[in-house]
Parts: sequence; structure tokens; C-alpha cells
Amino acid sequence: MNDAIKINNLKKSYGTHVVLKGLSFCIQQGEIFALLGVNGAGKTTTLECIEGLRKYDSGSITVNGTMGIQLQSASLPGHMKSLEAVKLFAKWNKTAVDKAMLDALGIDEFAKKQYHQLSTGQKRRLHLALALTRNPDILFLDEPTAGLDVEGRLSLHQQIRQLKADGKTIVLASHDMAEVENLCDRLAILSEGEIAFIGTVGQLNETIGKRYNITIQTEDRTEKYESDNIGNTLLALLGQYKENGETVVDIQIDRGSLEQHFMKIAKGA
Amino acid sequence: MGAFLYGVFLQWKLDIRSKTLLITCYIVPLLFFAIMGGIFTSVMPEARYTLIQSMTVFGVTMGALIGLPPSLVEIYGSDIQKVYKANGVPSYLGLALTNISAYIHLFIMSTILYIAAPIVFHAELPENPGVYFIGLAVLIAVSLSVASIIGLAVKDQAKTSMFSIIVFLPSIMLSGIMFPTELLPKAFETIGKIFPAFWGYKLVTESVFRPESFLPLLLIFTAAAVICGILLRKADK
Repeated sequence: MNDAIKINNLKKSYGTHVVLKGLSFCIQQGEIFALLGVNGAGKTTTLECIEGLRKYDSGSITVNGTMGIQLQSASLPGHMKSLEAVKLFAKWNKTAVDKAMLDALGIDEFAKKQYHQLSTGQKRRLHLALALTRNPDILFLDEPTAGLDVEGRLSLHQQIRQLKADGKTIVLASHDMAEVENLCDRLAILSEGEIAFIGTVGQLNETIGKRYNITIQTEDRTEKYESDNIGNTLLALLGQYKENGETVVDIQIDRGSLEQHFMKIAKGA
Repeated sequence: MGAFLYGVFLQWKLDIRSKTLLITCYIVPLLFFAIMGGIFTSVMPEARYTLIQSMTVFGVTMGALIGLPPSLVEIYGSDIQKVYKANGVPSYLGLALTNISAYIHLFIMSTILYIAAPIVFHAELPENPGVYFIGLAVLIAVSLSVASIIGLAVKDQAKTSMFSIIVFLPSIMLSGIMFPTELLPKAFETIGKIFPAFWGYKLVTESVFRPESFLPLLLIFTAAAVICGILLRKADK
């Protein structure tokens, strides 16, 4: 598969604060790639360097294709109507207004509404439509579902999947682990300006997910344990409870959520 | 070119929808004209000879200095500029469109004054309409260029209003439209000369085009354009 984006030894500092310490990674054509990181990890700086919105100190970024960008923090003049914004951006980019795309995003419902009258979900859809006016090969979505209700979130997920099916490469920045797990082919976790993990969700689970969380409840108390070897640990624990004369009333075993794995990697735990 | 013209048309519509511009470019200048025109011509009947010019300088200065900066702050003090840049729309577009749109609105307002003043207050038309309209065109452009500095330099709507008023008040008080500048203390007269309204009023009241009134305006416009260029570049980064 060809690379849509190739980043090599990307470095960026703000004054004496080093934000990116030489990032190198590739994003493949046609995949949904998520960039994750706690606040201050360098996620937005990385995205903005790729998008050309921010200058970087050294390294190289190669982008193969046109870009469409939906910013996390985005706005338009309050009195501008949705369809007027789409027309302005389309005319400026010398493209025709894509009626099918507008229908798919449901822009028609609020085409004649002024920007300040739109709900959060409608604004997100409009900014996605604006990002798509250039019919980009690569689409950047920064926290696309932030502030959306469940229905809006599911609808946007469906649209993102459709864009992937249409052959677009999608780069997603998100804090929503369920979203990443559901949508993304691969993900990178940034920690203190470096890549702490890159791979598929499955690989992430493989890397850390062999650790089990065990919760044992007796008549008097509830205790939590962690183990890399579930069978032996359970046998030993149950033996211990029996020896102590305690009756086990409930046992819960889980592998930990992607969110827990993310936090461990992102915080270097 | 089609995209740019659509942008101008769209901005013009946005300005009409925006009550701020409607108030500062039309309602207040025309209300001021209705009230002050009556007072001026009653107290000083000779004021009718310069009523069109003085009311127009007031309206243009107000519309530019108070009306334009909020539109610019809305674009450059928020994420709008980032959205434009991220999606292939150049940063200068907001500045260009708001200026062109405000220019058109101020010219319309000035034309309303030009037509209404002789009817309502028996004001005398300028001796040389050609020179008057050239002077008006220059005054609007220069006033908007100064207003653009405020709109680009200040990122906060509340502070913008304060800076606009700080520039607007001395512009009007020291321009010569309220009373002859020769009556002012020398220091105030000198301060008045740094504002476009002072030179603009001279330009629109003269019957022949005088370069000595035009050149200071050209200088102010050039300086403002350079400063706006620097501020735009800074905002772009």
C-alpha cells in the first residue's frame, strides 16, 4: 500500500519547550488513522504541521494528495448561511458544489440557517462539508464528534466509514477511545512528543492486553488483582480464600479497555 | 475572479444582516444628519454651504472607525481565519471583502446625504461635484485603512470599541467639521492633522483638487497599508 503521508524526524519547539522530539511515521492511503495523546502530548502540533498551518523546526513531511481539514475549534461569520459558506469555499477552490455530498451530510436541513443559529452537530457537519468541497484525497478530522449527542456521533461515524469506502485517507485526532476502536485501522499514541505506540487496535491489545483485571467479592469484602497468567493466579487466589475460610460470592475478569491501555502508554505507566 | 466577486456580494449581504454595520453606517450618521443638520443651519445659516461635506465626513469617519473593526475582529480574532486558511481561502480575503463592502455602504450613505441635504435643509451642493466625489472616494479609502489597523491589531470586541472611540472622537473634534481648526490651540490643530478626517474635510470642501490636501491622505493610506500587511502576516503565522 502507498503512503499518503510520510513524516520523518519531525521536530518542533515553542521557545525552550520541545513539543515534538523527532517523530517518524507513515499513514497509508485509504486507511483511517488515529492520532492519540493526552493534552500537551503534541497531537495538535503534529496535525497542524502536516496540514501546513504551522511551521516546524526540522524534519520532513511528504503529503501525497490534496487535503481537506476539519478543525476542532472552527468558526464562520455568524450571519453567513450554511449554503453560502459551501458556495464560497467551492468557488474559491474552483470546484462545483457537490449536491450528493451535501445530501449525505444532511446540509439541506439547515442550508438557509445562519451559522450562529446552528446546533453543535450541524456546525460539525457543515465544517466537514467545507473540508470536502475540494474533494480531498486526505481528510483531517480533529475531534470530529466532540460535543455531539449519541445520534449525531453515530451518524458521523457512518459518514466517516462511507468516506473511507470512497477511497479517502482519514486522519483522526480523538480522545474517544470507543470511536478509535470502532473506526480506525491504525493508531499512534503520542507521549511527550514521541511515538509511544503505533499499530492496529488489535496490536495494542496484544501489546498490553494480556494483563487481566480480576475482582473477587466475598461476603465481607471486595478485592481487585491484576495478572498476566489468569489460570494460575485464579487458582492460587481461590486456594487462599478457601484457606482463610472466606466464601467467594462473585468473580469478575476483564482484559481492560482500550482507554486503560491508552492511558498507560500515553502517561508512560 | 468569480469567487472574489461572489465573496464581495456575500460580504455585502452579511453586512446588511449585521445590525452593527447598519447602525454605524446608516442609522447613526443619518440620524446625526437629521438632528445636527437642523441645529447647524438654524444656529449658523452659513453652515448650509458645507453641510453636505461636514455630515459626510462625520458619517464616513464613524462608519469606518466604528463599523469596520468589529467585522475584522470577528474574522481575525477568532478561528474563522484558520478555517479559511485550512480550506484554501487566502488570509487576505476577509480584509479585502470587508473593506470593499464597507466602502460600498459608506458611498451609498454619502450619496443619500448628498441628495437629502439640499431637500431637507436647503444645503448648497459642492461647487465642483467631480472634485467632491474624488475627495469622498479618497476619504472613504483612507478612513477604512486606518480602521483596518484597529480591526487587525486588536483581537477583542470590547477593546476594539474602546480603541475605535479613542481614534474616532479626536478625528471628529479636530477635523474642522464642528468648528474651524484655526480656533483650536496649536497643539490640537497639529494632532488633528494625523487623522484622515482633517485632510478629507479639506479635500471635499475645495472647489479644485489640491495635491497638498491629497498627499497627507496618500501618506496615511500607505502607512496604514504597510501596517495592515505586517499585521496580516503576523496573523497568518
